[in-house]
Amino acid sequence: MFSTLNIRAALIAGTATLLLVAAILVGSRNLNNFDAALVAYLFGCIFACFAVVYRYCVWLQRPPTWKYFVRGWELLFSRHFVPYVLELVKHLFTQFIGQKFIRNRGTARGVGHMLMAGGCTLAFAVTFPLVFGWVNFQLKPGGIDTYEVYNFGFKVMEFPLHSWVAEALFNALNWSAILVIAGVMIMMRRRLTHAGQIAIQTFEGDWLPLLLLLAISLTGLGISLDYKFMEGKAHQFMAITHAITVILFLIWLPFGKFYHIIQRPAQFGIALYRKAGEAGPQAICPHTKLVYDTKLHVDDVKDVAAEIGFNYARKDGTSHLDYSPQGKRALLAKAHLKARQDSGAFFG
Amino acid sequence: MNTTTFRTDQEFFIDPQRCIGCHACEMACAECETNGQQPMIHVDYVDRYLTPQTSVQVCMHCEDPTCAKVCPADAITKDEFGVVHSANHARCIACSNCVQACPFGVPRKITPMDLMMKCNLCYDRTSVGKRPMCATVCPSGALYYGTREKMRELRPNSTPVNQFRFGQQVVKTKVNIMMPKGATELVVDAQ
Amino acid sequence: MATLPVSAEQIIARFGPSLNFPPAQGYPGRDEPDEVVKTHCCFCGMQCGIKLLVKNNRVVGFEPWEEFPFNEGRLCPKGVQRYLQNNHPDRLMEPMERVEGQGFRNVSWEAAFERVVSEIKRIQGKYGNDAFAMLSGVSLTNEKCYLNGKFARVALKTKNLDYNGRLCMVSAGAGNKKAFGLDRASNSYDDLKHAEVIMLCGTNVSECFPTLTHWIWQARDNGGKLIVVDPRLTPIGRTADLHLPVRPGRDSALYGAILHQLIKHDWLDHDFIRDHCSGFEEAKKAVESYDLDWAERTTGVTKEKILQAAKWWGPAKTSFLLHARGIEHHTKGVENVLSCINLVLATGRIGKPYCGYGTITGQGNGQGGREHGHKCDQLPGNRDIENPDHRKYICDVWGINEKDLPGKGLTAYEIMEAIDRGEIKGLISICFNPMVSLPNNHLVKRALEKLEFYVCIDFFLNETARHANIMLPGSLQEEEEGTTTSAEGRVIRIRQAVKPPGNARTDTSIILELAKRLGAEKYFTFANSEAIFNELRVASKGGTADYNGITYKKIEDNMGIFWPCPTEDHPGTPRLWEDRKFKTPDGKAHFHGIAYRDPGEVTDAEYPMILTTGRVVSQFLSGTQTRRIGKLVQQYPEPLLEIHPKTAAKYGIKERELVKVVTRRGEAEYPAQLVETIREDTVFVPYHWPGKKSINQVTTGLLDPISKIPEFKVCACQLVPQGRQAPSSEEAQAYASA
Repeated sequence: MFSTLNIRAALIAGTATLLLVAAILVGSRNLNNFDAALVAYLFGCIFACFAVVYRYCVWLQRPPTWKYFVRGWELLFSRHFVPYVLELVKHLFTQFIGQKFIRNRGTARGVGHMLMAGGCTLAFAVTFPLVFGWVNFQLKPGGIDTYEVYNFGFKVMEFPLHSWVAEALFNALNWSAILVIAGVMIMMRRRLTHAGQIAIQTFEGDWLPLLLLLAISLTGLGISLDYKFMEGKAHQFMAITHAITVILFLIWLPFGKFYHIIQRPAQFGIALYRKAGEAGPQAICPHTKLVYDTKLHVDDVKDVAAEIGFNYARKDGTSHLDYSPQGKRALLAKAHLKARQDSGAFFG
Repeated sequence: MNTTTFRTDQEFFIDPQRCIGCHACEMACAECETNGQQPMIHVDYVDRYLTPQTSVQVCMHCEDPTCAKVCPADAITKDEFGVVHSANHARCIACSNCVQACPFGVPRKITPMDLMMKCNLCYDRTSVGKRPMCATVCPSGALYYGTREKMRELRPNSTPVNQFRFGQQVVKTKVNIMMPKGATELVVDAQ
Repeated sequence: MATLPVSAEQIIARFGPSLNFPPAQGYPGRDEPDEVVKTHCCFCGMQCGIKLLVKNNRVVGFEPWEEFPFNEGRLCPKGVQRYLQNNHPDRLMEPMERVEGQGFRNVSWEAAFERVVSEIKRIQGKYGNDAFAMLSGVSLTNEKCYLNGKFARVALKTKNLDYNGRLCMVSAGAGNKKAFGLDRASNSYDDLKHAEVIMLCGTNVSECFPTLTHWIWQARDNGGKLIVVDPRLTPIGRTADLHLPVRPGRDSALYGAILHQLIKHDWLDHDFIRDHCSGFEEAKKAVESYDLDWAERTTGVTKEKILQAAKWWGPAKTSFLLHARGIEHHTKGVENVLSCINLVLATGRIGKPYCGYGTITGQGNGQGGREHGHKCDQLPGNRDIENPDHRKYICDVWGINEKDLPGKGLTAYEIMEAIDRGEIKGLISICFNPMVSLPNNHLVKRALEKLEFYVCIDFFLNETARHANIMLPGSLQEEEEGTTTSAEGRVIRIRQAVKPPGNARTDTSIILELAKRLGAEKYFTFANSEAIFNELRVASKGGTADYNGITYKKIEDNMGIFWPCPTEDHPGTPRLWEDRKFKTPDGKAHFHGIAYRDPGEVTDAEYPMILTTGRVVSQFLSGTQTRRIGKLVQQYPEPLLEIHPKTAAKYGIKERELVKVVTRRGEAEYPAQLVETIREDTVFVPYHWPGKKSINQVTTGLLDPISKIPEFKVCACQLVPQGRQAPSSEEAQAYASA
């Protein structure tokens, strides 16, 4: 990944990181609201920010990715943006939040992923603002039973200590841990019992992420349980292991399986692109005489393939890539038939 | 985990003119545990009006896979045995670039799953030293998986070829196609 | 009995056919099966080895059996999907009785047996023993075939027992007995490997016997030439060196013309003909006038092609001739077979390495099932029921009085005719679905409606069983131990992988119980399938199909034994006739003079087109099993009318336009499929479908005079384009057509 430094990506990533640092300084009122206990997490986040943006930029520079990136934004900022925005909203609810496509891959898998995704999202929503010092809680001066919530240094709400709001807020991370653990269990069971999964899974690609999530959740939950039942005897251990696992997660985010969290929104672009393609002319296979894709996509793939060094063009100006998959298979079968016929024997 | 007894002495050989279009491979492929009742192999009539000829296509496992190169999500990878794997489930965004770019017409987009799937050389079987389902059941020898020596003995007058020409593009593959003796490549688009 | 108790649609809604698909991730447990059972496919005569994966008394998947010598793991789509007949939602698991206006109601086994036995006694008491007939089938093991033969003669005491092999290859069997005195493919398929010329006569190997393809392709790898005779260009014929698109019903003219050429060019093995054959002169005389001009006119195959076939066949050093239903399903079935055998004998290429001949039996146990006496004219060991010596031998084995052994009865289609005439009043059937598989099935339906009592044993409620008064849930092939004999004559072991589910019982236990209740218990004291096989061995001893030296253990140790195998130390006989001692009375192979005659129904101005029928690769016979397996149905969802584009243009028929096929017996409607791979004077429809989609609504009931095989492969029809497009094939519900 970093074997050759991508200057452009590094510049963008550097800028993004500086912006994050600035936002942290501003949001935490010059670190006034910053919780010093979270400093290790903070550095993890800053590193992750740089690495994620760097990798994202490198990734975007790949011709096929760039093509879709540009096409997606073009559509959203086109004059006929309305249907695309609607498509985006639809996609957001059914696929991104609803994760229908994952449920279609298997019910248990859908449920497991939903639990993990939900738990992680909740955890992120709590953790990042806390770590950045963007959100902090303070006892309301003049009492011992009302909390005030500050966001970017502004008071946004207050709630009594023994209210359900307090329970929900203070235990949010515990809930997220429980969701994640349940999801991880479902996913691990699949990976232990399903022969197809067993055949193609890898440790670092499939098990390490699950183990890491499990470790984060268990240690996080452990901190609370330790307080509740063990009078904080194991606090040190829990806090340190939790910090280590979370920081590992942050550092590994740009490189491993969790990068898909960053990458997944590209699906939106594809949805828009598909819609745009459908509105335009369609590609008809010269062999099957049937529509098989949008012309936009066929032409883009031809361009991208050429850009990365594949030349499927024929001398007459047409391309092998003008054929549908079935047409391509038929071309090969016919070419093989001809070769065999020319040799005088089908067998041997 | 990740331990494998992949047999590097065994290779895949296809010979489309032996195909009788029975679809046994397709039914057997669906039994493969990595693809959950989705067949990955393709069997089609070339043009039923004219001939009962069928095309039969497994993934050829290109040395430089176009599908992987055109993938915007880096979802397709080739392993140390030269097996080009089906899309990584976490990464694939179902753009179907690979479906359209593969010169052999192999990858399929499974729309409801927003996922591309393709033949992975029956990795659940080959990784433990078994033969791929399709090539094990194929009743006509259109699909064969075994050693090069055995193939030479069975079909002495054919040559396994792993180079294809599509227009200007030369594609080299892990999977072989059986050609008349002495052939060095299969020219698919003559123009 | 009358019509169905409720409408066919209501019966279909409850009993199927419905489609079985495996769950998306396969059946649970297939990764860690309790047992991996090495057995065989339940479908065609290839009897491919297959391993079934069993978990909790259910077949949950399969694994190729790569060590089995014939198929080495190779399978066709039916074989791959065969495991789905297990775990099927349509499976019958309780005995049932017909309730007028309501359909079927579950009853106890006791009540069911009681009713069956009392009806048998009533009908036989009133109309005579022969008024109760039995129909059996050759998807059954040798043990069950033998048991059914004995049951019908000894317990039911009827002469009217026949089987669905009557629709399969009886003409080949009869021809083989006439020519060789024995009925078995002469060689194992191993002899195909180095055959210089292979002639496939009326056999769509690629769709009906896909796993045989490997052996034929191997011969071609070794330089062998392939000649395919078929009115359609099938996948096996596509790359053939020579395709002879014979006009349906003209086969014997073609083979006669080739014999004419062999004689003319002296491509004959004179020594073999002189020393080991008889009847050559008659054969020669019969084809004297069959020159190429005549042959081209008659067969519709060009002179050049016929001559080329003779040129390759004649001087070859090794060769293999295979035929199947294409020449056998004719009113001249036996003559067609004999005309092929003449070509084999004339060149003397039999009984030597890579010199072979045989019929490719269609059904799973088409070979074994036709040897052990559940055929109306036959006793075990392929003995003749009218031969006094044979009768005596079997009566001794069975311990019955010779005069109590019934004589020759009616054949399958004739049984239906006799029911229609009111001569037969009661019927028991097992493993036979005549509503789909017999020709002219309007007659079959009428006959079933006239029966006073019908009891059916089957695992699914097939189209015929809907007419049953009592339905007894029997067993699948994988639910009982036994043996079958594959098309090459290899006796193999069928294993019990699972027990029948619910209250279903094994076929054997049902037959044994009926025998007991009919008062014949002492003749049916078998402890298990092996005990039946051991009696079969004795019964077959000294017959032409001699199994005496075959034991279960020997089969298992050798992965099959080829009969004849007279003694336990005999290794079996993969290749027949190496000793040139033919089993005919004079010990010689017999030529026959085959004068060509027209098929039973020829085209005329009113019915100008030839209709021929056949199979598709994803379906098997009447479809009782395969029309219930989802992916097999999807592969070819509905029967199509194959028609040449030129003919279609003449009628103005477009692709997928509905076309009515009308014959003297009825009509049926199919979407047209325009293909240049069929003769212009012929249309083709596959026959696996029931009800309104059944092509056997219109086929003829004309029979071969010797073998009584029906003429499925040719009749005259008119085509009436309907001017509307068929709905898409995905919507077709042909598999469950009423």
